[in-house]
Order: sequence, then structure tokens, then C-alpha cells
Amino acid sequence: MIHLINVTKKFNRQTVAVNNATIHIEPGEFVSIVGQSGCGKTTIIRLLISEIKPDHGQIIIGGWDITKIKSYQIPLLRRQIGVVFQDFKLLPKKTVFENVAFALQVSGTTRGRINKIVPQVLKIVDLEDKLDRYPQELSGGERQRVAIARALVHRPKVLLADEPTGNLDAINSKEIINLLLKINDFGTTVLLVSHDKSIVNALKKRVITMEDGAIVQDQKIGKYVI
Amino acid sequence: MFLLSLSRSILFAIQSFWRNIWLSLATIFIITLTFISINFLVIISAVSDSAIEAVKEKIDISIYFQQEVNETKVAEIKSHLETLPQIKSITYSSSEDNLANFKTKHQDELLIQEALKELEKNPLGATLIVKAKQLDDYPEILEAIDNPAYSDLIEERSYDDHQVVIDRINAITENVRKGGLIISGLFVIIAALIVFNTVRIAIFTHRHEVGIMKLVGATNWFVRSPFIIENIFSGVIACVLAIGVVYFILSLIQPHLSSYFGGAEFNIIGYFNSNALVIFGSQLIGIIVLNIISSSLAIGKYLRV
Ligand SMILES: Nc1ncnc2c1ncn2[C@@H]1O[C@H](COP(=O)(O)OP(=O)(O)OP(=O)(O)O)[C@@H](O)[C@H]1O
Ligand SMILES: [Mg+2]
Repeated sequence: MIHLINVTKKFNRQTVAVNNATIHIEPGEFVSIVGQSGCGKTTIIRLLISEIKPDHGQIIIGGWDITKIKSYQIPLLRRQIGVVFQDFKLLPKKTVFENVAFALQVSGTTRGRINKIVPQVLKIVDLEDKLDRYPQELSGGERQRVAIARALVHRPKVLLADEPTGNLDAINSKEIINLLLKINDFGTTVLLVSHDKSIVNALKKRVITMEDGAIVQDQKIGKYVI
Repeated sequence: MFLLSLSRSILFAIQSFWRNIWLSLATIFIITLTFISINFLVIISAVSDSAIEAVKEKIDISIYFQQEVNETKVAEIKSHLETLPQIKSITYSSSEDNLANFKTKHQDELLIQEALKELEKNPLGATLIVKAKQLDDYPEILEAIDNPAYSDLIEERSYDDHQVVIDRINAITENVRKGGLIISGLFVIIAALIVFNTVRIAIFTHRHEVGIMKLVGATNWFVRSPFIIENIFSGVIACVLAIGVVYFILSLIQPHLSSYFGGAEFNIIGYFNSNALVIFGSQLIGIIVLNIISSSLAIGKYLRV
């Protein structure tokens, strides 16, 4: 589903953010990427949504080689991948419903379909009763759930989550991780970047460990060792 | 799907227009000034062109024949002259016509009326009025008329050279035109800078929103179109304002035009009416193209994601 083959990304001479990394992820897997701050985890995510291009190597997602993707194709790629971030990236002046609907509007979905799909995904994240709230009227966990709902509207095959629990307390973090597991159960491949030892260890799923841009460990049922 | 995106973009544009009302007003103001100064140039050109046309229209050669030259002879000369390629038209007027005209022209002057009554015969001969296709053609036509074969038949020929008047009109309008061109050029540059900056500021203030748009798979056109539509909106309003101001100015100068042309009719408002689509349409297209270029540049600058 996701293949990085000998991928290197340098920002300048000194910073090699990703160093000759090779990762193969099969459809339906739940994979965590762990490692110290600055080891290149976010850079992997940014490479996968083609926000930046690799200097060397090859990136293939769902059979699509995006290594040299044309800029006009990037929107199509992003509609096939769901992404959530630590800072949620919600529009403060839009309601929960509108924030989720927004992702459908940009791809020209009709009002009728939007009115059908949005409540469905908000039900998955358990927010169907808070459609008209604004982001500032929600808890951190609820905000992240809105972001996840938005990432799901295009029914992506892949969900990328870059420290989705970074701003959340333990209880909310647990809820978000459970939600990711539930989405994974539907068949979506999930790639989770996390700092949180207890979360990653409790998952008992595959763990990839990075250090200074390189993959140093890849365990089937991994533990966060460093 | 396209219409859906368009209607969403328009909605977004209207919101953004009101949210930045002062910036919108400043943009409209400067585009209006630009349009007005360009239209000022159009007015100057139209007026001077038709002034020169009017003067040219008055230029002709009148050939006065001896009284005894008969109609067939004049017709013969007329058809001979008509073979010249430079000739645009030749108008024949018989000696009777000329007398009648002369009488009506001087009907208030008793002395002349008396004198005419004294005469038994019509003292006036026939005339031909010759117009050339171009101003430069007159010397050659004059040469043809001065043919010795005709010299016994022709009493007099008159040709007034209006070149001096034409040169004067050209000189005056050329200066005004140059001034107008400089002013318009300045306004165009200022308008371009302001439009560019309006789009840039709009995209910069929305960069968070725009970043999220791109993250969820919005195309550059989807991101850009609201900003372009917002500015086209300003452009259309400015165009309407400019049309209002221009027609107001036109209505002020129209009465003076007739006296300027010495009675010759020139309808500047009519001129604008019949060319409105070209005049205002091309200005509107100009502002739209400017918008697309500046928004593309601004998006390229802020949205490398
Ligand atoms: N735009 C950039 N320009 C230059 N260097 C950058 C840029 N983005 C990231 N880096 C560098 O690349 C390296 C990897 O950054 P990255 O954001 O991938 O780390 P990370 O593993 O996500 O860290 P964290 O856990 O703190 O989020 C870091 O050394 C960082 O300073
Ligand atoms: Mg990071």
C-alpha cells in the first residue's frame, strides 16, 4: 500500500531529514513510526502527501508512483489520503459540519451528497450531535475527531496521523487511538507517528523506529525502545 | 460540478469583499481612475480624428465655367475628370441652380436683388465641385484641371488649402494625447500594483485557510478563483462607475463640440454608444487578465505546499 524505497530528503547540506529509508506497508496494516524529536517522522508524512519531493529514491502509494508527481495531480493524491495533525488544522470560522463538508466541496461534491456523507462520518467519530459547534467550543479530543472525520470523507485507503494525540491528555489520547483502530478495522491502512511510549506499546502492532533520518528497527509486534 | 465550484467561489468572494471593505474600496477607486484616464484618451482621439475629418470634408475644388459653356460640354469635362483615379466625387450644379442659390443666399440684400433684376441674362455659369479621395491627390487634380484645352471654358477655379488648420489640430491634440498617455500609463502601473497587492494580501491573510484547502485536495484553481472573482467584482464595479463618470463628462463637452467644429455635427456620446462594447469591454478584459496574473504569482509565492 505504501512503499518508500531508498528515500533520502535533505533540507540543506547539514540536515538530512530522511536518510536512505525503505519502508513497505501492506494494505490494512496499522504501523507506528517512533523516534526522537527531529529524527524525520514528519518529513516522511510530508513526502507521502507530496508536500515535498524526495532527493533520491522512490515513493509508491496504492500502486501510484508519486516520486515525480505533476503538481496538477497532487490534489487528486490528497483526496485519496487522509491526514491528521497534532494541531488539528480546523478552520475556526466554520462549524464542525462545515469543516468536514469543506473537504468535499473542494472536490466539487454536490450539496446532496455532502449532506449525506458528512453526518455519516461524524457518526463514526461520535460527534453527530455537535454539528453546529465551532472548533473553539470543542475539547481537544473532539477537535481531533473532527479532523479525523474530515480525513475520512473521501473514504481514503490510507490514513496518516502525525502525533494526533500530541495535544491531548491520556483519556482523550486513548479515545483517538481507539478511533484509529476502529478505522483500521474497516480496512484502512493507518500510519501513526507518535512520541507516546505507553500508547505505542499498548497497541501491540508493527513499530518502525527512526534515528537521524534512518530506519533503525522494524518489528512486527513492536515496542518503543528508545 | 464546474457551476457548483463557481457558485461557491462567488459566495466566498462576496464574503471576502465585505470583510476587507476598505481594501476593496481602494481597489475600486484606483481602477475607476485608471478606466477614466484611459477613456479620456479615447475621447481625445475620437474628437481630434473627427475634427480633422470635418476639416478634410470641407476641402474641395470648385470649377466655375464661363456663362456660355453649355451643359453637354460641362458633362463632357466632368466625365473626363471622373476617369482620374484620385477623384472621389464630382458634383454638377447648373447655372440656373447657381443663380437660385445665389438669390436665396442674398435675399436680404436689396442692392444685389435689384442688380440681378437689371440683368436680362443669368450671369452665372455652371460649376463642378470636385472632391479627391485623399488630401495628397489635390495637386494632381489641379494639374488636370489646368489643362490648356479647358482654359477658355473655365472662368475660375478655387482651391483652399486647409493643411494649416489640419496641422494645428494635430499639434494641439498630439500634446494632449501625450499628456494623457503618460497619466494613463501611471494609473495602469498603480492599478496593477494595487490589484497585485490586494490579491497578495487576501491570499496572505487566508493562508491558513488556503493551506488547509490544499491539504484536503483543493486544486490551485479552486483556491485562486475566489480571489480572482472578488477582484473581477471590483473591476466590474469600477467599470460601471467609470462609465457613469465618462458619460457625465461627455454630456458636459458635447455642447461645446459643435461650436469647436464650426457647426459640423459630431456626436461624441453616439460614438461611445456605438463603440461601448469595444471600449469598456477591452478595459474589463485587461483588468481580468491582470487579476489572473497577479493571483497566480501570489499563490505561487505563498502556497508552495
Ligand atoms: N523546512 C525545513 N527546512 C530545514 N530543515 C528542516 C525543515 N523541516 C524539517 N527540517 C529538519 O529536518 C529534520 C527532521 O524534521 P522532522 O520534522 O521530520 O522531525 P520529527 O521527527 O517530526 O520531529 P518531532 O518529533 O519533533 O515532530 C529536523 O532536523 C528538522 O530540523
Ligand atoms: Mg514531527
